[in-house]
Amino acid sequence: MYYPFETQVTPLTTIRRKRMLPAPGEVLVRIGDQVDPPQVIARAELPGDFRILPVARLLGVPASRVKRYIRVKPGDDVQEGQVIAKRGRLFASTVTSPFNGMVTASGGGRMLVEARSTTFDLRAQMYGTVCNVIQQRGRHYGVVIETPGAVIQGAWGAGGESFGVLKCLTETASELLEAEAIDPSSQGTILVGGRGLSEAALERAQQLQVRGIVVGGLSPELIAQAEQLPFPIIVTEGIGAMPMSQPIFRLLKTNDGREASVNGQIQTRGGIMRPEVIIPTPADTVPPAEKQPGVPLEVGARVRLVRAPHAGKVGTVVALPVHARRMETGAKVHGAEVDVGQEAPLFAPLANLEVLR
Amino acid sequence: MAEEQRIGSILLVDCGTVMTKATLLEQVAGQYRFVARGEAPTTVEYPWSDITAGIRHAVERISASTGRRFFEPNGDLITPELTGHRGVDAFAATVSASQPLQVVLAGLVRNLSVASAERAAASTYSTTKAILTSNDRGGGHSEGANVHTIYDAAPDVICIAGGVEGGAAKPVLDLVEAATLASSLIEQSVRPKLLYVGNSRLRRRVVQMVGKRAELRVADNVRPTRTEENLVGAQAELDGLYVQEKLERLPGFETVSNWSAVAPRPTARAFGQLVRYLWRLGDGSKGVLGVDVGAASTTVAAVFDGRVFTTIRGDLGVTFGGERLIDEHGAETVTRWLPEPMSADEARGVLVNKEIRPTSIPQDMRELWLDQALAREALRTTLELARPGWEPGAAQPHPHILPLCDTIVVSGSVLAHAPRPGQAALIVLDALEPIGVSTLVLDAHGLAPALGIVAEVKPLAAVEVLDSGAFVNLATVVAPVGRARRGEIILRVHVTYDEGKFSVEIGYGDLEVLPLPPGQQAVLELRPLHNFDVGLGRPGKAGKLRVNGGLAGLIIDARGRPLRIPGDSEQRQSQMQQWLWDVGG
Repeated sequence: MYYPFETQVTPLTTIRRKRMLPAPGEVLVRIGDQVDPPQVIARAELPGDFRILPVARLLGVPASRVKRYIRVKPGDDVQEGQVIAKRGRLFASTVTSPFNGMVTASGGGRMLVEARSTTFDLRAQMYGTVCNVIQQRGRHYGVVIETPGAVIQGAWGAGGESFGVLKCLTETASELLEAEAIDPSSQGTILVGGRGLSEAALERAQQLQVRGIVVGGLSPELIAQAEQLPFPIIVTEGIGAMPMSQPIFRLLKTNDGREASVNGQIQTRGGIMRPEVIIPTPADTVPPAEKQPGVPLEVGARVRLVRAPHAGKVGTVVALPVHARRMETGAKVHGAEVDVGQEAPLFAPLANLEVLR
Repeated sequence: MAEEQRIGSILLVDCGTVMTKATLLEQVAGQYRFVARGEAPTTVEYPWSDITAGIRHAVERISASTGRRFFEPNGDLITPELTGHRGVDAFAATVSASQPLQVVLAGLVRNLSVASAERAAASTYSTTKAILTSNDRGGGHSEGANVHTIYDAAPDVICIAGGVEGGAAKPVLDLVEAATLASSLIEQSVRPKLLYVGNSRLRRRVVQMVGKRAELRVADNVRPTRTEENLVGAQAELDGLYVQEKLERLPGFETVSNWSAVAPRPTARAFGQLVRYLWRLGDGSKGVLGVDVGAASTTVAAVFDGRVFTTIRGDLGVTFGGERLIDEHGAETVTRWLPEPMSADEARGVLVNKEIRPTSIPQDMRELWLDQALAREALRTTLELARPGWEPGAAQPHPHILPLCDTIVVSGSVLAHAPRPGQAALIVLDALEPIGVSTLVLDAHGLAPALGIVAEVKPLAAVEVLDSGAFVNLATVVAPVGRARRGEIILRVHVTYDEGKFSVEIGYGDLEVLPLPPGQQAVLELRPLHNFDVGLGRPGKAGKLRVNGGLAGLIIDARGRPLRIPGDSEQRQSQMQQWLWDVGG
């Protein structure tokens, strides 16, 4: 049995997503509350900047003699520019606070000044209902939001989180999203392209302040630029010119004009995070929960091939040969025969298959 | 796994970052033998978040081929073995699936104490997030900048070295103060630990200074004098911290511990034990080297005079770390090993795609070459980190090149699963540049780390498993050292097989492969030019020796040391292609 990598491309399911604060804080919603994407649902105070002030050195005195010149003590609030230590009268040497904050430690001729904390607002980033408040030992860490809708997991992404109306700008999954297709009506929307986008399109999207981009592939030379975008970008297939998989393109196309949440964050190790698109959809009954992964690969599974020369092709497993076969590289591997709509099924290593569910 | 207990079957598991490998050893006719193996993706990450799932999947593959049942319906491992082919008598695991220990290093002089601390950290799975040096000589940063660096890096441990015994106190104590201050500013639940491995005469003051502001550990000074290095204490502390902070926190680790007769241990440590064990089996005058190129880390373990020197690049493997390597050092660092042109962008694309699909394997030649090129560079950079810490003694006849190594154990999927044995051999030759006569031994089943544990607790079993074909000879390599004009004959080789004999002349720059399949032996008579050394005692010395065959045959690598790669890209690619053809790759 082989347990393949899985990617969610689900038209309707009950989606549950944790929304977590970076530090314990206050949750502003209750279980059962309906939330909107921009709504602040929790808040935390994050520690501010700090500065070590080498007071003795700045005043030109030994550390053992600096105490007499210091005008504040640990625990005192200080304002930006406030004198912390002063030596002399006429041509006095002074040390001032670099910002508004608090003196938190002193010793060895130095003082530690910490800036006031900053407030972090956690937004819902999706439509839904609060179904759980996450707390531990009486401290609040976040909430879980639930909504019926579609989920599409991406392969690569960049940028943070956003939401907006989906706007499909290509007719097919294999078209390149060009700058000309992005007009002023794209402002504030999430653009959907086909196999990728040009550099000019990326720049145009930035000028028009779109809220996100979803494309099949991304040229490697645009990676650095994509990582600097002020909005999320989600690449569904991988790096390179790859048409968007048909099931993904169809699902996005079907939902053209609907509001969606996009999250471009990716982490490949140490707490995997995959970029994703969530499209809340109204449902009369509660749809089934998201499928748990861990199903062995079987004949009939819908799979995507993930490595060249067939990267991005989607098909159905038609056979799981018992014996290993030799590939172009000369390696002998166990694999599957996949019907991708060509004359004959393709043989692909099990390791290079991803189940779409 | 006590000696007294009868152990008829052993299940060995190695949980890597990407793949989990399981191996079944059984006693057959009184001797331990390698019976079957299975492999499955590691399941430490979401959605599984349980390392035992990957173990079960890998073991299921063994069940499928042997019919043996290993687990109870409730998921417990059946041990000891029961009648009816159920369970195993012993289970042992090695693990490298956890994140590396995040370390900030601090010391007085970059090339002395800091370099020693770096080597100590590299003996366990770690990544160095930042290096701080004292500002006393104007080379380092201010205390404030150091505190900010530590704060931003938020490491697991801050390792402070510096000061020879009885040396300067103030700069060391300044670093301790900066580390303590930074540590105390970090949220208590993730506060880094301090490890002091500097001037031991300052220990008491360091303990007082740190007080209760941070958790402090101390070990022997890593640089007691300018010329002396002592890493043992620091290595033990860092290894302990890795086990405690990373390994034991893996989801499912406790279950694996409960199954195990001996505590699961870091893969690289067990790999080092195996390499030492192989050194003991040899004549001991030369070193034994082991290299393991993993998905997320690369390990070089060397043994000289019975001492193990294990070095790990915890941030560079063939799946993870490639993109960062080309970001930091340029794509040509990797693409220079390719037989075809490949743009930096294409290489980046392939490497990023590999990171997002870590279990996938190359299906076309270009991607295969890139994988293998990255393996070369991962090995070279790890070796560069390792070599200054070695003490090879008489095994080092020539400075600045690899010491004489009797055996080189070659492990890791990119090598073990190389489609052609010549490719694996060439990766090793290009990366390590061995000299003299060495045997390359391929860990074809990924058994080396687990056998390291077996060798420790049941040495006889390890010997028997090795004899039963767990490892296969990849090649015997003869690499002369010296200088000559390209094409000049530098070595005459006379080969005598059971069935016949022949002679060849080797020109400087040649890479020659002579057929000598596994299981076959030959007597080599080597007659080097007067200024060429083939590891027989001195330059020009001739001699006879019996060698074993291998999958890639008998390789005479007369390309010179250090290896010279053409600067012109076209020439270089055609050279790479030629070398590949030469070794049958």
